[in-house]
Amino acid sequence: MNYMPGTASLIQDIDKKHLVLLRDGRTLIGFLRSIDQFANLVLHQTVERIHVGKKYGDIPRGIFVVRGENVVLLGEIDLEKESDTPLQQVSIEEILEEQRLELQAKQESEKLKVQALKERGLAVPRADTLDEY
Amino acid sequence: MFRYPSPEECPLDEEEDGFQALGEEDEDIDQFNDDTFGAGAVDDDWQEAHERLAELEEKPRGAGQRAVPGGEDAELLGEPEDTLAERLTRLVIDSELEDPAIMRAVHTRAPGAQPAPLNAGIWDGPAVLRRIRGPLLTQEMPSVSVLDYALPQRPPQAREEERDPSERALPRRSSSPVIGSPPVRAVPIGTPPKQAAVPSFNQQILCPKPVHIRASMQQRYPAPYGERMSPNQLCNVPNSSLLGHPFPHSVSPVLTHLQRAQLLGGAQAGRMSPSQFARVSGLVGSPLPSVNPKLLQGRVGQMMSPAGGFRAFFGAAPAPPPPSQPQPPPGPASHLQGLRPQPQMFRPDTTHLHPQHRRLLHQRQQQNRNQHRSLNGSVGDRGGHRGSHQEQARKDPYANLMLQREKDWVSKIQMMQLQSTDPYLDDYYYQNYFQKLEKLAAAEEVHGDGPKKERTKLITPQVAKLEHAYKPVQFEGSLGKLTVSSVNNPRKMIDAVVTSRGEDDETKEKQVRDKRRQTLVTIEKTYSLLLDVEDYERRYLLSLEGERPALMGERKQKICDMYDNLRGKAPGQERPSDDHFMQIMCIRKGKRLVARILPFLSPEQAADVLMATARNLPFLIKKDAQDEVLPCLLRPFSHVLYHLPLGTVTSLVQQLTNLPQSATAPAPTNLHLAAVLQNKFGLSLLYLVLSRGEELQSSDTSTELMQDNQWTELMLLASRELLRIPAAALAKPVSPPSNLLSLFSRYVDQQKLNLLETKLQ
Repeated sequence: MNYMPGTASLIQDIDKKHLVLLRDGRTLIGFLRSIDQFANLVLHQTVERIHVGKKYGDIPRGIFVVRGENVVLLGEIDLEKESDTPLQQVSIEEILEEQRLELQAKQESEKLKVQALKERGLAVPRADTLDEY
Repeated sequence: MFRYPSPEECPLDEEEDGFQALGEEDEDIDQFNDDTFGAGAVDDDWQEAHERLAELEEKPRGAGQRAVPGGEDAELLGEPEDTLAERLTRLVIDSELEDPAIMRAVHTRAPGAQPAPLNAGIWDGPAVLRRIRGPLLTQEMPSVSVLDYALPQRPPQAREEERDPSERALPRRSSSPVIGSPPVRAVPIGTPPKQAAVPSFNQQILCPKPVHIRASMQQRYPAPYGERMSPNQLCNVPNSSLLGHPFPHSVSPVLTHLQRAQLLGGAQAGRMSPSQFARVSGLVGSPLPSVNPKLLQGRVGQMMSPAGGFRAFFGAAPAPPPPSQPQPPPGPASHLQGLRPQPQMFRPDTTHLHPQHRRLLHQRQQQNRNQHRSLNGSVGDRGGHRGSHQEQARKDPYANLMLQREKDWVSKIQMMQLQSTDPYLDDYYYQNYFQKLEKLAAAEEVHGDGPKKERTKLITPQVAKLEHAYKPVQFEGSLGKLTVSSVNNPRKMIDAVVTSRGEDDETKEKQVRDKRRQTLVTIEKTYSLLLDVEDYERRYLLSLEGERPALMGERKQKICDMYDNLRGKAPGQERPSDDHFMQIMCIRKGKRLVARILPFLSPEQAADVLMATARNLPFLIKKDAQDEVLPCLLRPFSHVLYHLPLGTVTSLVQQLTNLPQSATAPAPTNLHLAAVLQNKFGLSLLYLVLSRGEELQSSDTSTELMQDNQWTELMLLASRELLRIPAAALAKPVSPPSNLLSLFSRYVDQQKLNLLETKLQ
C-alpha cells in the first residue's frame, strides 16, 4: 500500500534503519518503529554515533523517543552499503576523548579570534542564541 | 456459573460431585468483578509464587519424558490423559487450592477427550490458577471442545480472528515482561512470565468469538490509554520496573519454555488449517518431555495463537512480520503471515539481564535451536514457498510494532491537513508539480509505448467551503461577559495607537523614503492584480458558462487597473511624466512586474510602456547597474515589437538613440546612445528594434516605407554612430539579430558594412 504518494510521509519508513540528525547536533541511528503526526519518532536499538574526523564511535542507547521538532533530518540507511564507509570505527572511550580534544581546540581558536578582534577594536560577534549548541 | 452448552461437553469426574454444590452457589456471582476475580483480588508475592512454580516444575520432570512424533489426533488425545491425571493428583495433594472456582474449573475439565495442551495449563499451579477468574473460566467451557470443531472447519474462524487488528504479536523477548501478570510492582523485568497469563490466552484463543477475548482482556489489563490495548503498552508497564534484578536460577527453564513456545508458534505459517493445527498440536506435544509440563500451558497458548489470530502477549510471538518492503500485506493478516519458524539468528537485547541469566538463556537457546531443527521438518514445507520472505521477516522480530491501524490513523491525520477548498491556492506547488509530471507522462505516452509508470497521485479531499460565523463562547449563568480568547478571537494585548505625522515635520529624506514606500505598495498591489489576472484562465476553465462573461469583464478591469498603476493615474490624457513609471522601474521587483504585465496589455498600452522605457533608458541603465534585471524585459519587449507598426518602431528607435531628427546638427557626443550601446540590454533592445524595422521593410511590399525619410535618416545616423564607437565599448547583446547586416547594407557602403559586421560579431 503506497501511503500518500507524492508526499513526504514517514509511514513507508517504518521498521527501517535510519540515521537521524537532531538539532543539538547528535546523530542517532536506529530502527524507526513508530511515528505520529508531529513526526515524533520511536527509534529502536538506537546507537548514538559520534564523528570526529575520520573516526566514529557508537554508543548503544536502546530505545529513543524523539520529539519531532528536534529532528533536523533523517534518512534511511541502506543496510548493504552501511559497512561500506571510509570511516574508521573506534571504541567509545576513544571517540569521546577525540571529541573532547576537538571541542577544546575549537574553543581555543575561538578565544584567539575574539582576542584578535578585541585588539583591533572590532565588535565581538555575538552568538546567535539559537545556535548555542 | 458454568453453563455447559451440551452435556457431552462436560465430562464428569468422580470428584465433580463434591463441587457441584459449590457451583450452584456461585450462580449469581459477578464474574466480571475485578475485585473478586480480577487482578484486584490478588495480592501476590511474585517471588513466592515463582519459587512454588519452580518447585512444581522440577517434580514432573521425570514424568513427562516422552517424545511425540508428528501429530496425530488420536495420539495426541490419548497421551495427555496420563499426565493430566498426574497433575490432578498433584493438585489435590497440594494444599493451595483454596479457590472453589478454580477447583471447579479443574474438575470440569475432565480428561478424556480433551487434548492435554489445551487444558494442561489450567490445572497447573494454584498460584497460576489464581489468575484465572470467573469469566475466563466460563469461556473455557465452550472452548473445551475447540479442538473437536477446530480441526475440521475452523480456518474461517481463524481467519476472522486473524484480522482483528488489535491483536498483534510482540517480538520475541528473551525475558519477557509479562503482560498478563499482576501489576508492575510485582513483576520486574526478566522474571519469567506468570503462567497465569497463559491460560487466559488459552481461553481466548480457543473461544470462537473474539468479543470474549477482548472483554476478558480488558478486564484484566487496564490499558494506560484506555482505548488501545496495544500489547506494547501493556508490555511497557512491567517494563518500567526495576532492571537488573537478581533472578532466581529457576528463571532459565521458564525462558526456555518461552522460546520453545515461540519456536513452535513460529512454526506455523499464515492460516491455520485443520491439518496444520493438528500438526502443531503434535509439535506441542513433542517438546513436552523436556519442558515443565506446567509450562506447557504457555506453549499451548502460544500455539493456539495463530489459530485464533491472537498472539500471546509475551514473547510468544515469533513473529516477525513481513518487512515493510515493496508490498507489505494488509496489516492484520501480516501478523500471521509473519509467523515463521523462528530463526536461530535472532539475538535479542539481553543487556539488561543478569549475566548468569543471560548465560543460561543463551544455553537454552542453543538447545532449543537444536531441538527445533528436528521439529521443524514437519511444518517446514508449508513455509517453504515463502522462503526468502521469511528470511527477511525473521531477521526483524520487532517489526510491525506500529499497527496498521495506527499507521492509518497517522495518515488520516495527514490527509485531513491536506483538505482544502481551493487546492490551487493552498497547495500551489504540489499541484503544479503534478501537472508538469502528467504533461510529461502524456507527452511520453504520445510517442512512447504506453504508460510507463503508473504514477499514483495523491487525491486530496476537496472540502466544500463552509461559512463559519464565529460566535464567541457564551457561558450560562455567568455574571457579565467573560472574555475567552481563542485563535479566532484573540485578546488585545497592546494598545497601539496610530498617530499620523504632520507634513512639516517630515524631512526630505523621509519624504523620499515615503515615496519609495508608496511605490513599493503600488508594486505589491499591482502584483496581486497580476496574479489574479494570470489565474483567470484556469478559473475560466473551471467555471460555468454563465459565469464566464463576468469573469472576462473582471479580468479586463483588472488589466486596466494594472496599467493605471504602472503609469500613474494621470487625470489628463497626456501622461507628461514618466515619473511614476520610472519609480517602479527603479525597483527590481517593478521591472519584473512590468515584464509579466506586458503580455496582458493592449498593443497601444504596451507600446507606451516601451516608449517610456526607451526614453529613459540611460537612467534606467544606471539604476539597474546593481540588479541587472533589465534583460528580463527583452523577451516581452520583443513580443510587443512584433506587433508594432513601422511608425512606432521609428519613434522607438529615435527614443532609443536619442538622435536628433535631422542630421544637420550632429551631436559630438551622444551620451544617450553611447550608454545604450554600452549596456547589454540597451544594445539588445536596439538590435531588436532595428531588426523589426528591417523585417517590416523587407516584408512590406509597399514603397511608402522606402520613402520614409525619418527611418532612413535614423538608420544613417545609427550606422554612423555604430561605426564610431569602438568595438570594445560595445556590449554583448543577448542575441545578435541576423538581419541587421541586410539592414545596414541599405545605408552604408561595403567598406563600412564590413566594419559593422566585425563589430556586430
